[in-house]
Amino acid sequence: MSGGGPPRKRNFKIELFKHRVELDPKYSERTWKVLEHAIHEIYNHNASGLSFEELYRTAYNMVLHKYGEKLYDGLESTMTWRLKELSKSIEAAQGGLFLEELNSKWMDHNKALQMIRDILMYMDRTYVPQSRRIPVHELGLNLWRDHIIHSPMIHSRLLDTLLDLIHRERMGEMINRGLMRSITKMLMDLGATVYQDDFEKPFLEVSASFYSVESQEFIECCDCGNYLKKSERRLNEEMERVSHYLDAGTEAKITSVVEKEMIANHRHRLVHMENSGLVNMLVDDKYDDLARMYNLFRRVSDGLSTIRDVMTSYLRETGKQLVTDPERLKDPVEFVQCLLNEKDKHDKIINVAFGNDKTFQNALNSSFEYFINLNNRSPEFISLYVDDKLRKGLKGATEEDVEVILDKVMMLFRYLQEKDVFEKYYKQHLAKRLLSGKTVSDDAERSMIVKLKTECGYQFTSKLEGMFTDMKTSQDTMLDFYAKKSEELGDGPTLDVHILTTGSWPTQPCPPCNLPTEILTICDKFRSYYLGTHNGRRLTWQTNMGTADIKATFGKGQKHELNVSTYQMCVLMLFNSTDGLTYKDIEQDTAIPASDLRRCLQSLACVKGKNVLRKEPMSKDISEDDTFYFNDKFTSKLVKVKIGTVVAQKESEPEKQETRQRVEEDRKPQIEAAIVRIMKSRRVLDHNSIVAEVTKQLQARFMPNPVVIKKRIESLIEREFLERDKADRKLYRYLA
Amino acid sequence: MLGKGETPGHQNPPQHKDDDDDDAPHGVVKLISAEGFEFVVDKKAAMVSNTLRNMLTSPGGFSETREGEVRFPEISTPILEKICQYFYWSLHYSSGKETSEFQIEPEITLELMMAANYLDT
Repeated sequence: MSGGGPPRKRNFKIELFKHRVELDPKYSERTWKVLEHAIHEIYNHNASGLSFEELYRTAYNMVLHKYGEKLYDGLESTMTWRLKELSKSIEAAQGGLFLEELNSKWMDHNKALQMIRDILMYMDRTYVPQSRRIPVHELGLNLWRDHIIHSPMIHSRLLDTLLDLIHRERMGEMINRGLMRSITKMLMDLGATVYQDDFEKPFLEVSASFYSVESQEFIECCDCGNYLKKSERRLNEEMERVSHYLDAGTEAKITSVVEKEMIANHRHRLVHMENSGLVNMLVDDKYDDLARMYNLFRRVSDGLSTIRDVMTSYLRETGKQLVTDPERLKDPVEFVQCLLNEKDKHDKIINVAFGNDKTFQNALNSSFEYFINLNNRSPEFISLYVDDKLRKGLKGATEEDVEVILDKVMMLFRYLQEKDVFEKYYKQHLAKRLLSGKTVSDDAERSMIVKLKTECGYQFTSKLEGMFTDMKTSQDTMLDFYAKKSEELGDGPTLDVHILTTGSWPTQPCPPCNLPTEILTICDKFRSYYLGTHNGRRLTWQTNMGTADIKATFGKGQKHELNVSTYQMCVLMLFNSTDGLTYKDIEQDTAIPASDLRRCLQSLACVKGKNVLRKEPMSKDISEDDTFYFNDKFTSKLVKVKIGTVVAQKESEPEKQETRQRVEEDRKPQIEAAIVRIMKSRRVLDHNSIVAEVTKQLQARFMPNPVVIKKRIESLIEREFLERDKADRKLYRYLA
Repeated sequence: MLGKGETPGHQNPPQHKDDDDDDAPHGVVKLISAEGFEFVVDKKAAMVSNTLRNMLTSPGGFSETREGEVRFPEISTPILEKICQYFYWSLHYSSGKETSEFQIEPEITLELMMAANYLDT
């Protein structure tokens, strides 16, 4: 123990502690017998007579005396022997008892193993790590795996039993889930690989073929909605199964099997299924089915894109039919209302069933954009819809309702590519509304303008706002005029003038017709008043846009108030002095342009119930040889009779052409301005880049045509804003 | 080793009434030395030793768990006494309270260490 004598502090050395007991050669054999006996007793459930301390001490001493290996090997072989015994009794178990037996033996083994490990703890602690052997507990599990689970008599039977039970449960039978749980937990305890190789993999394969067959059956006999219901139920069942008696890691795997077999493999067929597929669901607003489809398809790759593609092509198809259906085109208001309804319907579907999925919203928007622009009358119709709403449709509606409707219109407006065409029509319609005083709510009008302004910027609406300003100023002017001049005007007709700033209003220069003298007098008075207050201005009369209220007395002394256009008023005033006039006379006296005169005479003479003039010969159309007479016999239930007022109508074909042409004309300076802006900053640019840039700059308002852009570039070259590069003809240079 | 022979528990009347709780960590356990001296300690304290812990918690009714007493034929009375002191000292120490050093007389160091190895303490 100690090397030296008294100076113990130096050379102090500790030797391994040597056991003092003499070892008898049979010691190891004898002590092992004690432990072996104990192990058997433990397996026989007979441990109550054993002393833990004694067994622990025995094992302790064996390890201490370097018999650790003998102890370990002895344990291994004893346990192996016991397990082989157990496997025989498990194998002998009949039918349904097999799993029960296996489970109860497993419980026994587990308990015994724990006890054995406890008494051999000293070996586990010292001998096992030193000689790098497998710890007792793990050894016990490995032996169980090798001799029970992998025993040829048990291995396949166990798997078959488990799969059979699961199959029976899928077919609706009740099975002992607790037992299933114990068995799968045992497989997990033996290691994840045992669970995966010996159970999970075959389980997934069997499930795949099961669902492959089942889905085939379902799809043959079910409609899409029912099929999806069944799939959803199966999916939930599998998840529930996992939560009850399988390892949590299996969930993702088994659900992906179900998803693949039931959804992914059949997704095209499902979506396109006749009479019940996606399109039918959309048509019939089947929110539940759609939501189910969305949630199931979301689980598989490409699932949602399948739905989206089909939805998009359906929307485009129906949209295209809608906008090209000649029946629909007859009523613009109805047409736009249809579009709005369609949009609302699908918005709701996306909101309710598709979880407000952004990609679906985008698909919806792009579909609308696609088909709305298929019909080049869409801008006109949308403006007409607004016109209708602002004239009468919004009467009695609350402010919020108005906002909702206008917001919806703005949404359609956003889809338009030719926003400038809309602007053009909107301006015309607004002008008519303002001049005829037909607008329902000034607030609604202004709100619409504000919306257009936020959408397209100041430039877009400045002229529209100018129109409002003109209306206001005119009102003030008229008040002032009558306040100052009332005494010199006397009892003559009342004049209401709207002074329109040239440029802000969609007016065309139009030669004034010959006004009746009564009117002419007051007009001249107003002119001198106005020019007196405003220096350097010019006033021209837009007789084609005015209206007049006149009182007329008919044959039986019946008095009516006629609400007519200025032109009609001029014509009617002629009949104050004479009873009959030929077409030629009227044309000469009034100087109304021929086409307007025809329309005006037609509305006065040929409309039933409003025929204040009588035409000879009677016919539907006006010809140059006709003669007109004052219709003495005119009667009407109403005191006020409205005759052929200027109502915004769908344009006729030639008018449409004309508007189109004006739009094209208006685009030219815009395109030129864009080209100059671009070239000013870039100095040198090739043709294609210019076209691309111009398109980019202008697409908020319209889609410029490349051919037109090219023409504008040529015109700019002529006017020496640009020149072609001398070396490279494709390049343009900006000339400052 | 001292006291190799099994000392017949000479003065232990098996009259405990501790059967009310034999597996719970509370309650007491009787430790008996080679010479037959009995030390009654809290189970909580005894479980400072891993060996004793396993012994007292192992399933399947070993005699120690049933009877609530453990015999140590290879541990002498003074050593077992020291060990019992250590159990309580260790509990106190691990509870984080201020604890004075545990005193070990040099003469018993070796035996105590052997016992400690045995008891996995």
